[in-house]
Amino acid sequence: MEELFGLSMNWIMVGLLAILLPALAVIAVMGWRNPVMLKLGLRNIPRRKAQTALIIVGIMISTLIMAAAFGTGDTINFSIRAQAVDALGPIDEIVVFSRTTAQDSFGSNPYFPYSRYKELEAEFQALESIDGLAAGIGEEVPAVNMRNFKGEGRMRVAGVDPTSLEALGSIWSETGEEVGLVGFAPGEAFINQKAAEELDAQIGDSIRLVIAGDTQILTVKGVVARGGLAGDQPTVILPLDRAQDLFDRPGQVNSIVVSNLGDETSGAEFSDQVTMRLRAYFADTEVAGELSQLLSQPEALAAIETYGKDQGGDSGRDLSRLTELLRSVQVNEELLGLLADEDVAEEVVAALNREGLEEGARKADTLFSGLEEFRVIDIKKQVLEIADEAASQVTTIFIVLGLFSILVGVLLIFLIFVMLAAARRSEMGMARAVGATRRHLVQMFVFEGTSYAVVSAAVGVGVGLGVSAVIVLVANQLIQSFEEDLQFTHHFEPRSAVVAYCLGMVITLGTVAFSAYRVSRMNIVVAIRGLPEIVTAQEDSRLARRAFGVGRSLVRPIIFGSAGVRLAFRGRGSSALGNILLMFVWVIGFPIWIADVFAALVRLAWPYFLQGWLALLLGLLLTRVGTSSDQAAPFRIGISLAILGIGLMARLVLRRTSMRPESADRLAFTATGILLVAFWVLPFSSLRAVAGELDGGPEMFFISGVAMVAATVWTVMNNSDLLLRGLTAIFGKSGRLRPVVITAVAYPMSAKFRTGLTLAMFALVIFTLIVVSILTEAFGTSSENIDLATGNWDIESRVNSTTPIDDINGAIENSELLTPADFAAIGGFTTVPIEARQVGVKDGRWNFYAARAANDAFFDNTGHRLKLIADGYGPTDTDVWRALKEDPRLAVVDISVVPTRGGFDDNLVEFELEGLHYEDDTMSPIDIEVRDPLSGNIFPITVVGVLDVQTDNFGNMGLGMFTSKANLDDTLPFPVPITTYRFRVAEGVDVARVARELDVAFRENGLETEELRQVVEDQRAASRAFNNLFTGYMGMGLMVGIAALGVISLRAVVERRQQIGVLRAIGYRRRMIQLSFLLESSFIALLGIAIGVGLGTILSYNIVNDIRDNIETIRFKIPWIQIGVIVGIAYLFSLLTTFLPARQASRIYPAEALRYE
Amino acid sequence: MAELIVNATGIHKTYDTGKLKVQALKGVNLDVRSGEMVAIMGPSGCGKTTLLNCLSGLDEIDAGQVLIDGVLLHAMPDDERSDYRARRMGFVFQLYNLLPVLSAVENVELPLLVSGVSPSESHRRAVEMLDMMGLSDRARHLPAELSGGQRQRVTIARALVNEPSIIWADEPTGDLDSETAGEIIDLMCQLNQTNGQSFVLVTHSEEVGSRAHRIVRMRDGQIEDDGSLRDGSDGNQESGSLEDFSRIADEAAGE
Repeated sequence: MEELFGLSMNWIMVGLLAILLPALAVIAVMGWRNPVMLKLGLRNIPRRKAQTALIIVGIMISTLIMAAAFGTGDTINFSIRAQAVDALGPIDEIVVFSRTTAQDSFGSNPYFPYSRYKELEAEFQALESIDGLAAGIGEEVPAVNMRNFKGEGRMRVAGVDPTSLEALGSIWSETGEEVGLVGFAPGEAFINQKAAEELDAQIGDSIRLVIAGDTQILTVKGVVARGGLAGDQPTVILPLDRAQDLFDRPGQVNSIVVSNLGDETSGAEFSDQVTMRLRAYFADTEVAGELSQLLSQPEALAAIETYGKDQGGDSGRDLSRLTELLRSVQVNEELLGLLADEDVAEEVVAALNREGLEEGARKADTLFSGLEEFRVIDIKKQVLEIADEAASQVTTIFIVLGLFSILVGVLLIFLIFVMLAAARRSEMGMARAVGATRRHLVQMFVFEGTSYAVVSAAVGVGVGLGVSAVIVLVANQLIQSFEEDLQFTHHFEPRSAVVAYCLGMVITLGTVAFSAYRVSRMNIVVAIRGLPEIVTAQEDSRLARRAFGVGRSLVRPIIFGSAGVRLAFRGRGSSALGNILLMFVWVIGFPIWIADVFAALVRLAWPYFLQGWLALLLGLLLTRVGTSSDQAAPFRIGISLAILGIGLMARLVLRRTSMRPESADRLAFTATGILLVAFWVLPFSSLRAVAGELDGGPEMFFISGVAMVAATVWTVMNNSDLLLRGLTAIFGKSGRLRPVVITAVAYPMSAKFRTGLTLAMFALVIFTLIVVSILTEAFGTSSENIDLATGNWDIESRVNSTTPIDDINGAIENSELLTPADFAAIGGFTTVPIEARQVGVKDGRWNFYAARAANDAFFDNTGHRLKLIADGYGPTDTDVWRALKEDPRLAVVDISVVPTRGGFDDNLVEFELEGLHYEDDTMSPIDIEVRDPLSGNIFPITVVGVLDVQTDNFGNMGLGMFTSKANLDDTLPFPVPITTYRFRVAEGVDVARVARELDVAFRENGLETEELRQVVEDQRAASRAFNNLFTGYMGMGLMVGIAALGVISLRAVVERRQQIGVLRAIGYRRRMIQLSFLLESSFIALLGIAIGVGLGTILSYNIVNDIRDNIETIRFKIPWIQIGVIVGIAYLFSLLTTFLPARQASRIYPAEALRYE
Repeated sequence: MAELIVNATGIHKTYDTGKLKVQALKGVNLDVRSGEMVAIMGPSGCGKTTLLNCLSGLDEIDAGQVLIDGVLLHAMPDDERSDYRARRMGFVFQLYNLLPVLSAVENVELPLLVSGVSPSESHRRAVEMLDMMGLSDRARHLPAELSGGQRQRVTIARALVNEPSIIWADEPTGDLDSETAGEIIDLMCQLNQTNGQSFVLVTHSEEVGSRAHRIVRMRDGQIEDDGSLRDGSDGNQESGSLEDFSRIADEAAGE
């Protein structure tokens, strides 16, 4: 994986190391200068082994999540790359002829003379970056093994030039011997392993190929290894001249493959250079001259320049270079290469269109399409880029899904350190009393925290690797069900391990430093006397001092430096060295410096924030940012901050009344909490009514979750005494249980901060699991209606485009195998790639889309449902389909080109319509232009409807607009056959039987059949399984919550040892002590679970309601069993982790417990 | 002569830390009569607290036997012994050992609730007890919000609330200034006199010891001198009524 969140992984690694190494250096220097604190910090680690183990488990979660995400991303990258390299072998680019003629056919590359290739070969000899070229023929035809009648609808036939074998890696037997292409008797051919598998073929078998309606029989001379010239898909390989005879193309070829310098992987590095040179060579200089003249006009140059600046990235760079070259007037190789780059051509036309230079754009468009004799496809580079992109996306998904767990992990680290501090408060108080400074206490904790972090990050990377291996294993099994050829091989880059380790360490160290700082602010007297709650932050109250602190942080390296020099002059060598080192650390690890300044700024502003007005101001500002940028995140965070600000101000006002301060706080805080919860559980539609359309991505799920849980926990903890009273009243009625309940509830409620944190952790994890479960269930209910996905068709069959069925109805009637009465309806269409653009919009750029050009029978019979019908074409779906049949200039688009409101738009298809949303109730007809990418012919289309989102199972079974085939027949230079048939069988007819019969009957046409219901069910099962995989992944956060309860219980046993002695002395039985501990963690776990389930259900309800605008059939349904399992597991494991400490507590002898201090 | 409430014979107790064996009690014999106030004194580490723990059943003994009110304490199963402690014994500790998360009244209620007294009755009696201790206005306060003397009086209230026949006190004044210590010991003497409850105190303070009926002196895990039973009318022992007790308690509450 090369990039994450758009940043290079190399840079991420360097950045993290720049933070981590200096930070570790600082810690090492502190340890060296302060061995006593180092010893104090470290001595607790071996003393409490169970606690240390739990802490390490809890802390490692962030690293684990990231390592698992990286491991999965690396695996995907590695596997796709490996498959690409295996499949393409030494081939780096493919060159195809750009000029189509009437002799060419649909689904095949245009042919050109072999002699032209020879000229090119001679020409390219001088190119150092190319180490081999080969011309050949590549066609796909149906094939049948005559021995067993097994068929393959798309058998690739590769005619390979024997003279090119040396340069292109030759042909190899399965056992790894070079077999070349010699000694072929007439009618002999090699097949590759994949073809042998599909046809179950062996040497000597006769393979029947159907070529242009004729049958050709070939004998298998041998089975060769896949990849390179031998192809990756099922392929028959034969010498070029034989292939030319077979396809009746004497002296012609239809593709050239290019191998770059270097091996199979490194060749791609020369791809840019080679592509540029070839494109420049293939460009028609005359056309290029005209283009260059057209684009050199000042307004065109300005348009391209501005557009380039707006685009940024690679295309921005290309356009900027193009304008430079255009200004220099000379048409050189680089300019030709750039102009011949299809991406650049698209950008240039779009740029001209955007600035209103439509005439120029049209001219440029025509010139661009006639510019090149050959198209150069940098196939390997593209596949490798896809691998990187896919890996980066998958890693991002896993990290985003893991964000909750990471946050919970951070809370746990914080909690652990607050607790450790609580346990050692007397000791620390003493240390302070005998002269230890706050800095010493921070150091002590940092030493301890660092040692945990060093170990747990390493464990986390290891376990994360294991988790990614499990993910890959599960994913492989899931993918197997619908994509046999795709298998992932677990792989992990050392760089990812370093990044995961560093990220884990940085997160842990940051949290440790923060908690240590909070702990160090404690009051000495409070600490020594063991008074409640240790964190009594005493902020510097004087503004001047805080402002001075900001100033100091800004010039910190200078302060360190000058202190170092001063100390050196005084002869204090080690201190001087330490300061000088710190100066370098601050400069080299500048993020530490930034964090230092940020912390000082927060200290400066904190009192005003607590007064409320600053929070209100910040909130209003953020809200404004949100509404002006239409972004949901700043808007919702802004409103929340504003509510918080008002709450804080109300508190100050109430405190000035006769009200007791505690009551004033409670009233203000409770009201704030309730308002915040209410704001976050508001249905999205009510927000939309106030703020209009706001965009939000998956990050909103995270933000909503955190905000809802935080507000609820805040409200609950502010009213914990009411809860306590209620619980005691309910459960404490029975005599023996009452004292147990009293202690079980009193302890967690007296340590509100600790309880609140644990509660929040538990609630967050349960919340995410509940949301994911309910949404999975809801989507399950949405797709219960399979007819919506299949359009009432039962079978889909695809034929090889070279062997179409001219008249399907006639063919069925004439078939001995098939019964016409079995079929209720038969429709057909052909899917072709097209380019489209909307008329009358600013960005008139051609974008790829697909057209499904259907025949009349399809329109007469399809049951596909429409979500939107343009005015004047309804009111029923049938009216629209009839209109499409009658007017070939009309089309119905699918959801891939229609934006949704506030939803997560996929970018599968570049083309997007403007002026309508999927959720709308009405639409007007929309004019678009469609261009055939091969011929460049353009024709107008009016979009009159939008398909339901569930059509073709959410697009998984096919994409593209439906239009009449008559359109394509008029536009393309060669006839367009029907390649996809859909059949609806008659009532009561066995679909599987008909599908089998169709397969056999049309084997020679390469017909391959699928039962649509089965396809939909398989795809849905796989998607449910993936959702379960994600749920399991997110469930890892639960481990942290459980570990947290374990740590709390262990600490509680230690902290309350003496009190346990007292309880035993006054008559508590052993079992009562144990029960008290178990009840205590049950109280936290169950309350957390209740909050998580409640909030998760509300948010899911809102989400489902919102999605219902898009998917009408979606229903809110609670998966009780799954939720029961989640709740059960969470509770059971939390009980289990507390059981041991509780038992340990109950077994202590009262006298022994009382002796403990 | 009053009946024996504690009859301990041949008590042995050894602490084994794995590396080191410490013989804390080496065959101790001790009798305490009902209504008697006994002070156990001796240098640090002589086994005073261990003896108190062993006698009260808070700790196991290695050899010997302890009869409390004629009941063989260490022969009881743990649960039974816990119940016995809840009903018949009260404890006062040097460091008060109140539950910091419960208010004063809740701390006092706890032994009653453990003994199965109804919540309302427990509350009533706890409030009454705190009232007797002069702490009615502090009933809702957490221990951290009380002074040392107040905390110790809450501890005493907790020890007395279930009307035990014997109260074990380990250094009850060890953490208090001399004035408060005096008040606390006055209170205990008063209770002993008024209610006839037996007190076994472990103390370093000669002053506290001198207020007891008898001082048992220990050294090196053995009883050096089990003291002679002093007559209630001589020595420093104050005699008094419930009114006197309330007066002292009120004075103490004024601190």
